[in-house]
Amino acid sequence: MARILSLADAVGEVVHDGDTVALEGFTHLIPFAAGHEIIRQGRRDLTLVRMTPDLIYDQLIGAGCARKLVFSWGGNPGVGSLHRFRDAVQNGWPVPLEIEEHSHAGMANRYVAGASGLPFAVLRGYTGTDLPAHNPNIKQITCPFTGETLTAVPALNPDTTIVHAQQADPAGNVQVWGITGVHKEAVLAAKRSLVTVEEIVDELRPRPGAMVLPGWAVTVVAEAPRGAHPSYAQGYYDRDNDYYQAWDAIGRDRDAFRDWLTETVFNNTATAGGGTR
Amino acid sequence: MRDKRMTADEVVAELADGMTVGIGGWGSRRKPMALVRAILRSPLRDLTVVSYGGPDVGLLCAAGKVRELVYGFVSLDSIPYDPWFRRARESGELRVRELDEGMLQCGLRAAGHRLPFLPIRAGLGSDVLRVNPDLRTVRSPYDGEEVLAMPPLRLDAALVHLNRADRHGNAQYLGPDPYFDDLFCLAADRRYVSCERIVDTAELTAGGPAQSLLLNRMMVEGVVETPGGAHFTSCVPDYGRDEAFQRRYADAAADPDQWPSFVDQFLSGTETDYQAAVNAARVGA
Repeated sequence: MARILSLADAVGEVVHDGDTVALEGFTHLIPFAAGHEIIRQGRRDLTLVRMTPDLIYDQLIGAGCARKLVFSWGGNPGVGSLHRFRDAVQNGWPVPLEIEEHSHAGMANRYVAGASGLPFAVLRGYTGTDLPAHNPNIKQITCPFTGETLTAVPALNPDTTIVHAQQADPAGNVQVWGITGVHKEAVLAAKRSLVTVEEIVDELRPRPGAMVLPGWAVTVVAEAPRGAHPSYAQGYYDRDNDYYQAWDAIGRDRDAFRDWLTETVFNNTATAGGGTR
Repeated sequence: MRDKRMTADEVVAELADGMTVGIGGWGSRRKPMALVRAILRSPLRDLTVVSYGGPDVGLLCAAGKVRELVYGFVSLDSIPYDPWFRRARESGELRVRELDEGMLQCGLRAAGHRLPFLPIRAGLGSDVLRVNPDLRTVRSPYDGEEVLAMPPLRLDAALVHLNRADRHGNAQYLGPDPYFDDLFCLAADRRYVSCERIVDTAELTAGGPAQSLLLNRMMVEGVVETPGGAHFTSCVPDYGRDEAFQRRYADAAADPDQWPSFVDQFLSGTETDYQAAVNAARVGA
């Protein structure tokens, strides 16, 4: 049964220096509040994993939390580059960042393998790309029936996975609806997990198509209202597109970013995503 | 958009001797029984049947339609064993590929992904490898661990039964479980869905959540309206399993003296005759 903790206690319990940490959420339910708490707690040398590193990882990288990034697409969706991410890769600021790049299908397959307790996954991806030349984790495997050469990717088993969801009950059962991305696979693949939720309710009301993460599959749950802002939480709030636009100017400039960190993250212990305006 | 409505007999006319046919549903639940009954009426033979088996398997075995059976189990749920399946197994005439349930699902998934294999742990440490000498294992290129390599279960045709469909092949389940009907369709070259009722497309989304739309029209070649088409298996919420009739089937199947009269009464005519005989038997009982 998952334990219910405050956001600060939950992050303190599941995220340690040097851990491999996946914050997932596919455009929807991105755990910004938990990301900001990781920054506040000053975690270092993290290997950050995420299919689509966007603003949340730009912020963690800019704050110097990460040593390595494992990903398949990075950017500010609909706006442009992630400039804190670029600064780290190009200039080693504030600390150097190693990268391991995959395809989307490869990353999703890696989570599925990790959640299934398999050592690897098989797919037809990566063929015709330069990714295998740059990423020794992408290997070939021969079909024992046809002799065909296929791509193998290793299972992904993060030390900790953090996702955001709409609701949990007091026993730590979690209900997620809308676009659920790789929430389930990433949580099941991880050694430890934290789910931040919009609210803790007495009883989860069944919803068509909703996904339930049972309490026994989750380590800790923390209530974080608006914890996915500036991304969105279906049924609770819409995406804050202005925030994504405004981020471009902040991310481009080290000083503007430092000011943003101070004002929005360090001076705001109640942050739930936090506004820039 | 194409109107894909067909009759059950037209579906069977598109099948050929020796084909590999996947049958959806699960045990004695939401089986495309009207399509199976249409096969019973046809001269079709030498089928390889892939199924989480129920009375579909028993009836096809009874009619001598099955050359090879690929299955995770065969059960009538409330009656553990199908007597016709038992007899076919005991006679040794049926070629079988007995798989772990997870392997069957994995094989359908590999076929749907058009992959020559997928790795899985299920089956390791059991006699599945001994009784299926065609299977292989594969080593992880990372840690050298050996896992089972499940080959694709490619199907020439898939037969499934859902609660509702439109004429284009979008189809909906309204019960608690999709089973693996979508995987059967993705694994097959030709896909036929029978349903309780064909409705307008708009009525599909009015009748249930978007997630209940299990099949989309790209996954379906033919749609057959067959009210009661899953009988005597369950088709919740339209109807539950007809336990009395299933008992009647199992009793007749277990007794070679009784079986011909069961066939005469229920399986010698059209689908309309079948439904009428079932109703008459229910009134008589």
